[in-house]
Amino acid sequence: MIATSIKWTRHNLFGKPFDVVLSLLVIPGLLWLVYSITDWAFASAKWDIVVQSLRVLMIGVFPADQAWRAWTASAIIGAILGAGFGCVFCFKPHHGLVLLLVPALLLIVDGGLTNALPATGIIASTILGWALTSYAPLSRKVLPAAAFTGFIVVVAVMAPPGVGLWGGLLLSVLLTLVTSVLSLPIGILLAFGRQSRLSSLRIISAWYIEVMRSVPLILVVYWIWILMPVLAPQWGLADVARGMIGFTIFYSVYVAEYVRSGLQAVPRAQIEAARSLGMSEFDINRSIVLPQALRVVVAPLVGNVLDIFNSAPLVFIIGLTDFLRAGQMILANPQYGDRTFEVLSFLLVTYFVIGSMITYAARKLEDHMATGTR
Amino acid sequence: MKAIVEMKSMNKFYGTHHVLKDIDLAVTRGEVMVILGASGSGKSTLIRCVNGLEMYQHGSLVVDGFDMPVEADRKLGGERELAQIRKGVGMVFQQFGLFPHKTVLDNITIAPMRVRKKTRVEAEATAMKLLDRVGLTAHAHKYPGQLSGGQQQRVAIARSLAMEPHLMLFDEPTSALDPEMVGEVLDVMRELASSGMTMMVVTHEMGFAREVADRVVYIDQGSILEIGKPEEFFDNPKNERARSFLARVLKH
Ligand SMILES: Nc1ncnc2c1ncn2[C@@H]1O[C@H](COP(=O)(O)OP(=O)(O)OP(=O)(O)O)[C@@H](O)[C@H]1O
Ligand SMILES: [Mg+2]
Repeated sequence: MIATSIKWTRHNLFGKPFDVVLSLLVIPGLLWLVYSITDWAFASAKWDIVVQSLRVLMIGVFPADQAWRAWTASAIIGAILGAGFGCVFCFKPHHGLVLLLVPALLLIVDGGLTNALPATGIIASTILGWALTSYAPLSRKVLPAAAFTGFIVVVAVMAPPGVGLWGGLLLSVLLTLVTSVLSLPIGILLAFGRQSRLSSLRIISAWYIEVMRSVPLILVVYWIWILMPVLAPQWGLADVARGMIGFTIFYSVYVAEYVRSGLQAVPRAQIEAARSLGMSEFDINRSIVLPQALRVVVAPLVGNVLDIFNSAPLVFIIGLTDFLRAGQMILANPQYGDRTFEVLSFLLVTYFVIGSMITYAARKLEDHMATGTR
Repeated sequence: MKAIVEMKSMNKFYGTHHVLKDIDLAVTRGEVMVILGASGSGKSTLIRCVNGLEMYQHGSLVVDGFDMPVEADRKLGGERELAQIRKGVGMVFQQFGLFPHKTVLDNITIAPMRVRKKTRVEAEATAMKLLDRVGLTAHAHKYPGQLSGGQQQRVAIARSLAMEPHLMLFDEPTSALDPEMVGEVLDVMRELASSGMTMMVVTHEMGFAREVADRVVYIDQGSILEIGKPEEFFDNPKNERARSFLARVLKH
């Protein structure tokens, strides 16, 4: 073990003279950086602020006495995400143990159950969902229906205190989920519209894509937020819904562009083979072309989800309190003025963890797709 | 006997390139017609016109009682009429054209279920019978990528047969195969011919042509130069071009 790592080190870090110089410069620098960060994190940082404001970070200004609603919703979302993950990546008991470290850590740091209890619930339901689809593949068949129902329940549970109160990380996640799910079918239709034989459809799709690609997201979101009440005053759409519509309108275009590149990757021979079997153009597109096109672009499509998540903070423009904004709100309190680094580090680490989980899932999904066709 | 395919002075252009020139050809039911010719002579184009994968510009083409429209008359949405005719015309391609994301069984059942509105049970029963016919029952649940070229081509034939076609088109079905797999595919085609299937076959397998064909058509630069019984064609071709073509291909 040690022998191989010495060998690895010598080969990779001290192989050529240039490598030696680089390693001699970079390694001490890195060590110093790691040391100072660790030293700060464990010796001087005051993390109590993160623990105390955890609820605000997670669910924003959602009323404290109604927090159980948000926690229930989070648990359902956890179960759905876990179940989705289980379809491509098999659950192992040690994964569960790692996940349970989160509530355990909270219990130790916090010394009470206020945070640890909901965390346990959310993590437990995530594990349950993950294990269910891993060990009982038949459950995968009902997953779309179950996820849809679950989502309705989430909205129903969260709605009573007022949709305007949704916030924190939960809002970021909800926004990401809704946008990703809605932009997929719209993007697919746009991609097909763009190569339709009906020129009106083709021109409209091309223009829509062109316009959305040339303007900033924040502007689209703001514009839709202002426009919706004018266009459909009778709907009385909440800010959250308008934000989601803006995001969907914007990101559908990127989905369309990815799907289009996938459509172009499907060999013409596939279409000819399907045609020669007498299949209708609709059936060919749905069952032959689209599945193969989507397979090719799974990775960029999941990357798009990550993009959506990372752009979620822009909803501050329409007055919503997402995860990042919640952190800012906490820091706005003069009492906490000296804890900027603690809060920002927590935000950074959380974004990093979630982002790398999405990337990891994308890679797994890609491998999974590849084995299907081999 | 009534013709199932009838071409009358059919002409096809790619832009200004005149690819098929005044083709007159009739295929009768139950006939096996082999189409020979050098590379680029228009063999693929000819049979691709029969199921409407290619459009032609002048003349007429009737397939199974259906008047195939010339390019200028093809309407938007004419795909629906074409799909109608394609139901009864199977086609086997050089590169197999199997759907890589579907199992062998699903490859065979998708068209009967979607187009002929068969139930899954019916479609799968037929598919298993056809897989038995081409000797591949053991591979029903594999993906095409897991099969050899010869096996894939036999699946492709079974897939076409599942639509119960009146006519089968083959475009160099063995040209993409390793030599040791050519035989297994030709065997299936031979069996199909003896079962009475009408077939139009583009191939470079001269032995197969001589043995199985009822008539051989020789095309050169988009024109039919010779048409007749295989023994006549192979033993004393009348046309000079056909003679040199045969000399070239029979040398090896
Ligand atoms: N899509 C196309 N666009 C333009 N020209 C084409 C196209 N397809 C084929 N051609 C031309 O039409 C002619 C006939 O082609 P075709 O594929 O029918 O020949 P073939 O006899 O099948 O040849 P091979 O034995 O190489 O398959 C060739 O000169 C070819 O270059
Ligand atoms: Mg050809």
